[in-house]
Amino acid sequence: MRFLLVNHIQNAHQSLRASRMRSFLTMIGVTIGVASITAILALSGGASKVVSDQVDTLGGNIAVVRPGKTTDPLSGLAQVQAERSFSTSTLTEYDLTTVAAIPHIQAVAPVMILSGVIKASSVAPNDSAIVASTPELATISHLETSSGQFLDPSVKQNTTVIGVQLSINVFGTEQSIGKTLTIRGQSFTVIGVLKRLNQPINYNGVDFDNAAIINFASGKQLNQGVSQLQQIDVQADSVAHLNQAIIDVNKSLIVNHQGETDFSVLSGVQISQPTSQLFYAIAGVSGAVAAISLLVGGIGIMNIMLVTVAERTREIGIRKALGASNRDIAWQFLIESLAISISGGLVGYILGYVVAFGITTSFLTFDPLLNWQIAVTALSVSVVIGVIFGLYPAFRAAHKDPMDSLRQYN
Amino acid sequence: MAQIPTPPVIELKNLKKRFGIGDAEHFALDGMDLTIQKGEFIAIMGPSGCGKTTLLNILGLLDRSTDGEYFLDGQDVSTIGQRRQAQIRSRQIGFIFQSFNLISRLNVIENVALPLAYKGVTRLKRLRLASDILANFHLNEREYYMPYQLSGGQMQRVAIARALVNEPSIILADEPTGNLDSRSSHIIMEELSDLHKRGNTIIMVTHNPRLTTYASRVITMIDGHIDTDTFEVFQLPDPLAKRPLGVIPEPSPKKPRRKKAATSTTPKRKQK
Ligand SMILES: Nc1ncnc2c1ncn2[C@@H]1O[C@H](COP(=O)(O)OP(=O)(O)OP(=O)(O)O)[C@@H](O)[C@H]1O
Ligand SMILES: [Mg+2]
Repeated sequence: MRFLLVNHIQNAHQSLRASRMRSFLTMIGVTIGVASITAILALSGGASKVVSDQVDTLGGNIAVVRPGKTTDPLSGLAQVQAERSFSTSTLTEYDLTTVAAIPHIQAVAPVMILSGVIKASSVAPNDSAIVASTPELATISHLETSSGQFLDPSVKQNTTVIGVQLSINVFGTEQSIGKTLTIRGQSFTVIGVLKRLNQPINYNGVDFDNAAIINFASGKQLNQGVSQLQQIDVQADSVAHLNQAIIDVNKSLIVNHQGETDFSVLSGVQISQPTSQLFYAIAGVSGAVAAISLLVGGIGIMNIMLVTVAERTREIGIRKALGASNRDIAWQFLIESLAISISGGLVGYILGYVVAFGITTSFLTFDPLLNWQIAVTALSVSVVIGVIFGLYPAFRAAHKDPMDSLRQYN
Repeated sequence: MAQIPTPPVIELKNLKKRFGIGDAEHFALDGMDLTIQKGEFIAIMGPSGCGKTTLLNILGLLDRSTDGEYFLDGQDVSTIGQRRQAQIRSRQIGFIFQSFNLISRLNVIENVALPLAYKGVTRLKRLRLASDILANFHLNEREYYMPYQLSGGQMQRVAIARALVNEPSIILADEPTGNLDSRSSHIIMEELSDLHKRGNTIIMVTHNPRLTTYASRVITMIDGHIDTDTFEVFQLPDPLAKRPLGVIPEPSPKKPRRKKAATSTTPKRKQK
């Protein structure tokens, strides 16, 4: 059996080479499927790694409260989007004060993301964010200013701290203290410029390099006096107290929300689960692409293998006459279908990383995750496809009658 | 001696093979009774279509009879499972097909080495053995040719080399010299004769009466059953005399018996 395996592999190699075009076309389905899977895993892994590294460097005593129940990311795709864009958040200012009063909680900061135009001598790009928050945000998220100071509501209402990239975008310089910009038509004076963070992906969901941070009160005012909390950042006084604090936050908020769990308190790796809707959309689409192309690819393999079995009927008869058992014949064809699916998977794995690196270098700032788990997943998917769709043709081949097969002309 | 109770290698009892049903029904084998002892070299002759190939296919476990019994080494073949049958084909039986049946995708040496693969021989050893046997048949320069690049006679020799590479104890040869000139035929026949001397059982179908000189027993068939059998003719004078002499019947005392086969001179005209 061991010796035969080598033989079967050589045989598969020969046979695939003999009909290169056919093998190549058959591989494509599996290639695309595995490429999509690899790209999703590499990108999501890379993104989560960025965020979880941040949470770690921030001390590991951070939790966040987000509106809505955390559901399985893919099934929750539609809801998340709807919630974010159209409906009001289930988190209220009252929740904010409740959470702040809980023991062992050191700092609490609201994150209210507004949409609107930021303008000075030039208009800021669309992806610039407007965030309304409190001074605690700087403590929790380790935001430091390179010049000026962070928010301080006591100074003056209409002040803002801006990211260094935004400063360059709207004023053409990093030195913009004292200058004025307009947000949704209202004037704000720049009192601080943040140090460059280079963390476009983080648990706040805001690229602070490219954001204007304003006081919470100003934010509410811009939003017709309504607070719209995307997130509440919570910092416990120590890592040891974080779990207790989370339990307490949950309890108090349930009371606030009349027993309805329409919020979620996340910590550790949960925070690092990607939150961007775009990400879910991409993951959802490529997941579907992967599933469909694997199915189509698998059917393609099955089809080609059935053709191969038919073409080689006489060969099967000869091999049986020379002493091949049904099992030997089955293995021969199964290994051939595995050879197709695994080669397809291998190409797909490489292609997946090409795509992932292409996306990250052109749109994102982190690197795709490269680890053995992804390689093993890609390989197992290919093997499973090869086996599932190769089994029936192999079975057909194995059970051919030797004499009937020998009588066939080809 | 102890050999007496060993069962015959092959024993057929009223074996029948039917093809088609209803009006198209046709018995290719119609009540074959045949007992073959270990070490016999049997030549089967008979007109085209009389069922010789059909018989060999059944003997080689490639086909099943419709009716009757077939005992191989004393065991009823219909009770042997698929895997064991494959094992018997692999270890015991060497089949030389009338139509060569080389695998067109594989080159000469791979074709010849194939039976060894199913026997579990390592690749290197397979190629060495295949190469050795090809040299026997003067084909060592054609090892890497594809079957379609060979002449009919060369193909036939490759097919024979492939059947013999496993050193099977039963060799079923369907017109092994059909495509060969008399010199090449001679080489093949010497090879078979040599195997016979080493105690192997050989069953050969041929249309060439001259080749029957190599055989220890000649059977002629007509319409799916045995017409004449030199064994019976021979058995009458000394029924048991041959037995105790040994397992391997020496070919020399049987030579006169070939006269019977030689009398059927008519098919000689069929010779190419
Ligand atoms: N698959 C089949 N279906 C129907 N009839 C068959 C089949 N195979 C063989 N036959 C018939 O069985 C008979 C015996 O065939 P077989 O091949 O055994 O002849 P043969 O003695 O080997 O002839 P030859 O000397 O020409 O090779 C023939 O009449 C043939 O038509
Ligand atoms: Mg024939």
